[in-house]
Order: sequence, then structure tokens, then C-alpha cells
Amino acid sequence: MALLQIAEPGQAPKPHQRRLAVGIDLGTTNSLVASVRSGLAETLPDADGAVILPSAVHYQASATVVGAAAKAATSQDPLNTIVSVKRLMGRGLQDIHQLGEQLPYRFVAGDSQMPFIETCQGNKSPVEVSADILKALRARAEQTLGGELVGAVITVPAYFDDAQRQATKDAAKLAGLNVLRLLNEPTAAAVAYGLDKQAEGVVAIYDLGGGTFDVSILRLSRGVFEVLATGGDSALGGDDLDLAIAHWVLGEAQASTDLTPAQQRSLLEQACAAKEALTDASSVQLSYGSWQGVLTRERFVELIDPLLERTLKACRRALRDADVELEEVDAVVMVGGSTRVPRVRDVVGRLFAREPLTDIDPDQVVAIGASIQADVLAGNRSGDELLLLDVIPLSLGLETMGGLMEKVIARNTTIPSARAQEFTTYKDGQTAMLIHVLQGERELISACRSLARFELRGIPPMPAGAAKIRVTFQVDADGLLDVTARELNSGVEASIQVKPSYGLSDDEIARMLTESMEYAGVDKDARALAEEQVDADRLLEAVQAALAADGLALLSEAERRDIDQAIAQLLQVRAQSADAAAVSAAAKALSVATDEFAARRMDASVRAALAGRNVQEIEE
Amino acid sequence: MSECHFGLFGLKPAFELDLTELSARYREMAKAVHPDRFADADAREQRLAIERSANMNEAYRVLKNPAQRALYLLRLQGCDLALEATVQDPSFLMQQMHLREALEEITDWPAVNAFKAELKQLQQAQEQEFSAIWQDAARMSEAERLVRRLQFLDKLAREVRQLEERLDD
Repeated sequence: MALLQIAEPGQAPKPHQRRLAVGIDLGTTNSLVASVRSGLAETLPDADGAVILPSAVHYQASATVVGAAAKAATSQDPLNTIVSVKRLMGRGLQDIHQLGEQLPYRFVAGDSQMPFIETCQGNKSPVEVSADILKALRARAEQTLGGELVGAVITVPAYFDDAQRQATKDAAKLAGLNVLRLLNEPTAAAVAYGLDKQAEGVVAIYDLGGGTFDVSILRLSRGVFEVLATGGDSALGGDDLDLAIAHWVLGEAQASTDLTPAQQRSLLEQACAAKEALTDASSVQLSYGSWQGVLTRERFVELIDPLLERTLKACRRALRDADVELEEVDAVVMVGGSTRVPRVRDVVGRLFAREPLTDIDPDQVVAIGASIQADVLAGNRSGDELLLLDVIPLSLGLETMGGLMEKVIARNTTIPSARAQEFTTYKDGQTAMLIHVLQGERELISACRSLARFELRGIPPMPAGAAKIRVTFQVDADGLLDVTARELNSGVEASIQVKPSYGLSDDEIARMLTESMEYAGVDKDARALAEEQVDADRLLEAVQAALAADGLALLSEAERRDIDQAIAQLLQVRAQSADAAAVSAAAKALSVATDEFAARRMDASVRAALAGRNVQEIEE
Repeated sequence: MSECHFGLFGLKPAFELDLTELSARYREMAKAVHPDRFADADAREQRLAIERSANMNEAYRVLKNPAQRALYLLRLQGCDLALEATVQDPSFLMQQMHLREALEEITDWPAVNAFKAELKQLQQAQEQEFSAIWQDAARMSEAERLVRRLQFLDKLAREVRQLEERLDD
């Protein structure tokens, strides 16, 4: 009932009610949800007291089971029990074949290039499977917190590309979650660590999860968490350590590598158990078919060292990109369940020449950090205390002549970011230009990920080289990309919200939303109206708060009258109209009326920030 | 939005810049305009915050790097440098050739580190010279030549970083 909070002009609105917001760590192996309650960030347990939800979904003929019960079914019903689905997010069929030996599913093609998994409940995309995990966490949170969530911060590996991020956001949408922000996992961990330890200085976060590896170098200074560089491998994690053991077993047993899905699952489970046992034990017994053998820790180290070397290489590169010398790193924080492996701690300690910090729970720290950021974004906590400045992990660019990639935004650029580059036509009379958007570090486009293609049409015929086409890349705070192309002489424009080639098509999303139980039976118009009403309420609330804070200082009487009129108009339409379009139009009118006011407020806050700075200098 | 990169941070255009002070100002301003501060605001205000932040991030990126900062100062003076144009700078041309050859011959880490040290010295020398020229109105015409030198050295530094990545493979 946001309307109740609207006060007479000049009167301060009532303080915010606390808004329920959560942080969700959607992991390869495990997922968690956390929230800030009475000032304390904590992970939320299920009815049995478990905070960890295994990221497993078991599709049965008449039910969908998520979590520990699903995980227990992996060996008996491997084709209908989906685990490690995060490794498939934002990937095409091509990529999947590389992962095939680990994931025994039957893949089928959909409308887009995204692969679907055949289950007894029909074909499921990785996005839908992830959405089922998110729904379970959402239900847990709403039950525990006792109300509807205003939104969630969902974490993603820092090294996720645009397609993988978009897929994660789509999954949240399907689960009925309002995404406040996609947050990089190592940054979330840094927030939890930094606030807990009151840390300042340069911090390295080494995050080895079930299926992904990230390293981020941050500078912590008075509540600002500035990511200097990030690096990693979005297809390297604890699963690969298990796989190394499984390969070794098959080699030792001289067994065929052509396994049934059930054999494969049970071998990987045994490998995972062996890895965990080797944390304390110096050797472990393994058996496969008639073969029995012993895996020593020394042998295990030999098996995984090549994989760990890949993580160290990423660390060295991140340090170079951050322009930070090893000696400048004040702390190294270990995150992710795989950092429990002693060898991982050894090699990281040796690289950074210091003992890595392992005293925070490597499984929970990401969800906790995300919940703190969710609390800020929901408006429960002043943003003065905490600000995260993150970067894009991979360079963004365009295809140019000769199949080469021209970088427009370099990796490790701070987001939000906007950059433009000018191109021209290469043929006389050319009237269209294909814009091919790519992500990656290599020069040849074949080695980069293709994100999207679109065409700028209607360029007036000109001699080759005369047209001036400005292509603008804009990356928002979620790390998601928008591309606009414009011919400067004629003003012809084309733009695209980059919907990755490996993402879901709009039709697929629409179908999933209608199929989803949540919206079954709900009238489409009623839903549209409810959405517009919620948006209108939020706008009204925001404008009222802004007027109360700065209306007197920044607006003339006439300007103030115009805005008040637009508010009155919107309030009236909001109260009386059942037409979504009318509510939307009135909201838009208010938005336009406050445009200049919004710009002035932002200028004023910039001046205030600088003034604060200048006062400090005098004092110092 | 016509404010120059320096003005954005409340600074006067100059080559000499206290980087610690710049980054402190950057962080303070980021707190004021970052989209996270407008999570509750309507779509237009959010878009405005994204634009302002992107603009500020770009300004910070340019000012942090001496070669980019020098080039930007020249642009502020209305001089749009065509970087591909032939450089009338024979002595530096010789040095460029020498540096390129040296870089191509490097195959190990000690050599990389030695080269980096040499490059850094060269950069500092050119930066000092540019700084002196920039404060002396009578020598303004020489600024362009120095900016080209700084650009070349900056590009070379990026190539060294690529070489380091190859050596690490």
C-alpha cells in the first residue's frame, strides 16, 4: 500500500517500511539464500535446518523435486535428475559436447541455439532447470521472512560472459523474482569479508567452486569496493577434479570409457567422495567393477596440478591487469567449496607468498555478501556505507573486415561503461551494414563468442567510405550489453538489447511463462494492469521522496506546479482506471515532467560529493 | 554534460596530477552517481545514473593514464591528433626501431623485466618533458611530438603485457 505513504507537498513522507530482499548464490553444486535480518546477514535454513540446497532437480512424472532428495536420485534416475546445470547456462549445443562426458543427458535442439534436456516432463532448457532451483529458494525465503520479496541479488561467476548472465537473469524472471542486480561472486565474497573484518587495502579473492573459477583483485577503501581486475575460467571447478580422479580410475582398471549414464554418475560420486576424504586422509580406497586400488594424496596432487596451474595463470594475469605487484596484496581470501582441498591452499599460498585466509565459511560467504548488497538496493541501508564498483571480465567488440575482432570495450573496464566507435562502408552505394557483436580476447572472431548480429538498414547510398556509422556499446551495472548503431549523416538508427545467440528466443520465454503454474488462470489484462499499478506506485513514491528532499532548493514555483499536476493526474488515473495503457501513459507524463528535476538532483549530489572532498582537504 | 574530464572531478586541466587525490575524488563521486544509488528511482533516472557513471568511469580511465591524459589535453586545445600520420621525429624513430627489435628478441622473464624497467624510464622521461612544455606557452608546438612519443610507448607497454601472457602459457 505505497499510496498511503504519499504526503502533502512539503511534508516529509513516512519512513520506508523494511523491504524484504534476499541474496541468492546459484551455484553449480549447491545454492543458498541469505537475508539481512535485524542488521545481521545470515543464510536462511529450510525446515530441517539445512542452509545448503544441492543444485539438483529431479523431474518425476507428476512432481518436481529440488535439493537433497533430488541429488540422492542421480544414480538411480540419471536422465531425469539434472545436476550441475549451471555449466550449461548460456551455452550452445557445440559447447555441450565438450562437457558430454560429465553430463549424461539427452540433448535436443530448440528454436534458438540453446540445448534442451529430454526428461519425463518434456524438454527442459537449462534456464528452466535453474528457475526450479530459484523457485525453491524463493519459497524458502518467503516462508522464513513472512512476506513477498521485493527482489533478489543473484550472484554469477565474475568470468560469466554476456550470454551466461542473460540466461541467469531469464531464469530469475521465470522463477518470479525481481532481479535487483546480478553480482559477481568474488565481489559478493569481498563485501562479506571486508565488512566483517573492517578490511582496507588490496584484497585478492580466489573462488574455486563446483564448476567455475574466478579470481578478483579489489581495492577496499572506506566502504568502496573497487574491482581492479578479474579473471578466471567459467568451465573449471571441483567437478573437474572429480573427473580427473574418474579418468585415473578408468585407466588403472583398464575399463572401457564408454559408460552408461548410471555407471558414469556412480563413478563420479565415488571420485567426489575420494577427493573429500583426501583432505584429511593420506590415501583412499577405490573400487570399480572387479578392480580395487588405492589413490594416494601424492598421486591426487599430480592429477589435479595441471588444473590448478590454470587457476594460477589466471591469478597472475589478473594481477598484471590490475597493475598490482604481489607485495601490494594485503590479503588473499579463499572462497568456494573446492578451496577445502589442501593442495589448492598450498599452491595459492605459494603464489601470493602469504597464508590464504580460510576462516570464513567458503560455502556461505557469497550468499551473505549478496544479501548485504540486496539490503542496500532495496533501500534499507544508506548507500553511503557501501558501494561496489565492478568490471566486465571479457572484452566486447565487433567483427571487422577479414574476420577480425575490433575491441570497443576492453576487459576489466569499470561498469557502467559506454563507448562509441566509428565505422564506414566499404562499397559504393552500400545501404545496409551487418553489426556482429563479439566477446573475447582473441583477434580472430572464430575464437571469440558471438553474442548477437543485427543489421543497420536504410543508409542513403554514398561512395564507399563516406558513410559515418557510430556504434555505441553500453554495459549496465549487471554487466549486460546494449548496442546501438547510427549513421551520422542521415540519422538512421538501429539498436539491440543483446539477446545472445545462445539465449532463449522471445517465443520460448513467452511459452515458458504461460506454461508456468504461477500465471495459469490469471487474466493477461489484469496482470498487465497490476504491473503498471506497481510501477506507478514506485514512481510516485520516488518522486515524492525526491520532492521532499530537494523540491524547495531545486525547483521554481512554476516547475513545482507542473510536477504536482502530473502527480495528481497519475493518482487519479491510478485510482480510477482499469486500463493498463492509461496508467502507463500517466506515469510516463510524470516521468517526463520530472526529467529536468532528476538531472538537477544528480548534478547537486555530484557537487555535494566534491564539496565534501574539498572540506576534508582543508581539515586534513 | 559539456564538462571536460578534469572539470568533472573539480580539477583544472593540467598534466601534473595527484593520482591518489584523483582516485579519492572518483570514489566520492561514484557514491553520488552510481546506479546502485538509484535502484529505487524510475527508469529515466536510472538511465541518467548509468550515463553519468559511464561518463565518469571513462573520464577516470583517461586521466589515470599519462599518455591518454596528454592526448586529451591536446584535444581540449582543439588539436585532434591523427595518430597514423607520419611522424617527423627521426631521432625517436630510430629509438622505436631499436625498442621493437629488442622486444621481438625477448624469450625469458629476466629479459622482460629488464625491458619493462627500461620502458618505464623512457616513459617517465617523456612525461617530464611534456609536463615542462605544457607549462611553457612558447613551446606548445612541441607538445604534439611528445604526445606521439607517449602514445607509442603506451602501445609498446600493452605489447609487453601480451608478451607476458604468451610467456606464461
